[in-house]
Amino acid sequence: MYIFICENSLEGILTGVYDACASRLGHRNIRLMTGEPAEYELFSEYRTVEPSFEKSRKVADTILTRLDRNFYETIYQAAMSAELHNEKKMDKADAIYETILLALSCESGQKVLLSLGEPCVYRIFELCRNTNREACHHLEFLRFRELKGGVLFAVIHPQNYILPYVAEHFTDRLPQENFMIYDATHKLAAVHRAAGHFMLTDASDLDLEKTKKYSSKEEEYAKLWISFFDHIAVEARINPSLQMQLMPKRYWGDTPELSRFV
Amino acid sequence: MILQQNMPLIEKLNILSDSAKYDVACTSSGVNRRGNGHGIGNSLAAGLCHAFAADGRCISLLKILFTNECIFNCAYCRNNCNSDIPRASFTPEEICTLTIEFYRRNYIEGLFLSSGIMISPDYTMDLIYQTLYKLRNEYDFNGYIHVKAIPGADPALIERAGFLADRMSINLELPTSESLKKLAPYKSRRTILKPMRQIQTGITENKNEVAVYRNAPKFVPAGQSTQLIIGATPENDYQIMSVTEALYQKFHLKRVFYSAFVNVNHNTNLPMPAGGPPLLREHRLYQADWLLRYYGFRADELLSEQRPDFNIYLDPKCDWALRHLDFFPVEINRAPYKTLLRVPGIGYKSAERIVKARKTSKLTYDDLKRIGVVLKRALYFITCSGKMMYNTKMDENYICSNLLSDKTQIPREIREGSYQQISLFDQTTLGSLALDQQTMIRAEAPV
Repeated sequence: MYIFICENSLEGILTGVYDACASRLGHRNIRLMTGEPAEYELFSEYRTVEPSFEKSRKVADTILTRLDRNFYETIYQAAMSAELHNEKKMDKADAIYETILLALSCESGQKVLLSLGEPCVYRIFELCRNTNREACHHLEFLRFRELKGGVLFAVIHPQNYILPYVAEHFTDRLPQENFMIYDATHKLAAVHRAAGHFMLTDASDLDLEKTKKYSSKEEEYAKLWISFFDHIAVEARINPSLQMQLMPKRYWGDTPELSRFV
Repeated sequence: MILQQNMPLIEKLNILSDSAKYDVACTSSGVNRRGNGHGIGNSLAAGLCHAFAADGRCISLLKILFTNECIFNCAYCRNNCNSDIPRASFTPEEICTLTIEFYRRNYIEGLFLSSGIMISPDYTMDLIYQTLYKLRNEYDFNGYIHVKAIPGADPALIERAGFLADRMSINLELPTSESLKKLAPYKSRRTILKPMRQIQTGITENKNEVAVYRNAPKFVPAGQSTQLIIGATPENDYQIMSVTEALYQKFHLKRVFYSAFVNVNHNTNLPMPAGGPPLLREHRLYQADWLLRYYGFRADELLSEQRPDFNIYLDPKCDWALRHLDFFPVEINRAPYKTLLRVPGIGYKSAERIVKARKTSKLTYDDLKRIGVVLKRALYFITCSGKMMYNTKMDENYICSNLLSDKTQIPREIREGSYQQISLFDQTTLGSLALDQQTMIRAEAPV
């Protein structure tokens, strides 16, 4: 068995797919893996894949021409998931590799995404669902705070790589605002300037102290919101477990109304 | 009555959100609209819930009343003219800034504006219209707006508000006109249904217009909804479901909401159930409501004159399935979509996935599990390639007791024991369940 170790990114995984196909070792003898394994197998040969933009683009082009855009987006969403591999489930890169092979071997390949009976397709479905759910939650539970100078600033702690999706949504929603969304897990930030498009940037050296200088109005509106939040609940129906079920506690810390209870 | 001049904004917000919270509709769904590039806001058809309050209900919109002063005296309502509560009113300006500032911070998805009736229905409707106009035009707000049409207001005002709002609603409140006459003497079936009909025709006409002129202004694009209060009056579930069905069919409503009655005024003429508001009943009605809208059921299939109330122990779909065992088992690999929808444990999403997945390969029980079918409920009613999952009997009592042996299937209210515990070792029959239910409903009924 040959095991190709890919970098955990779309580029890394697609390069892995390219190298695996180009190696001519036979698909049955190949597995892909995202990131270094915890334990090495004795009778397998490991090969590390250097991510290459050229190779990954070739694979992406093949998907886009021979399959369709929807298929590519599904693969993309799956690759953005933080769930790599655990003992029970298939590895992310391996699932993508197998699904692409399966789709390319069929006549109307884009339809393989519907056959959830296939383990690799089901894994892709799971990964996508995981990413999408979290992305949607962030559209809902993200909170901006207004800093001095009128810039809106938000901190999120997502597990998956969803920042571009979230930033896209807010660019459409708040075109006339200067805002910044800071992904504290991946140390990335999306910066949007009024009437422009957003940019992604590395934010590992972001000065978090500066982001705590709120504008004079900020405290007032946060207070109004918290007060509204408390008053809108009907006393006769209080149900904390339902609340927690619908809004998991890991989102609470980044919101003004619930960080009080964390 | 407490009157106060120059009240701080936070107090007004507290008073007017307290007054608005018994209205249950808080959805921001039904309309897809991209940002316009200059103003603020967009809208997603799926709707977004921005927070969940301590009662577990979603906060999607800034739900407030314009004013809680009211000239009506509806017995169920906290804001009726006889109740002794602090009163306040917003100005249009205040509502606009609150909405925009909350929206910018991503606290809310838009505005839900309702109102008590100040001076006259026309006067109130006009104030609401002015607020919406300001918000849409001066503040360039492009997000979601849900507005109440005031019963008895001038149709011209309602129409103008409809061109600014995404969704409109008029609360029917009580399912029969007798109850309405009793509890809300100033409202009548006619003043509620007339604007409802007007909005319905408006939406249809506007759809035709938009089909021809793409940029024609849209009238109530997310449709209209209404609300029914559950448990304040003695109507049974069958009456409520029939009214709901009629509203969906004849008025093309998008949603009917149910609100478990909370006796806020401590009115002794109205029921005051000891176990709190009838939440389980509300839950069953919502389940049945989904069966009507998405699963192709009719109200008279679920209930009848002889069985006018929903089963407390079983959800309406299981209940229906147990009474129609001749319909089952259903073959997963062949049954049409509409038949799949009727199987307990299969939702409309999994039914869709089944139909798509079985085109490429025969489905097995493992596949069904992956697709998201709840097998512990579905297994009695389906076959895969002609085989049932286990060796089960097609027998009403057998399936019923097996379904109930799974504790998670029994609603929390019953599990946690405000009701008499049923023993599973008894020969539980549906007949005795129905009997239990009767006693329970009597226990819930007003004393």
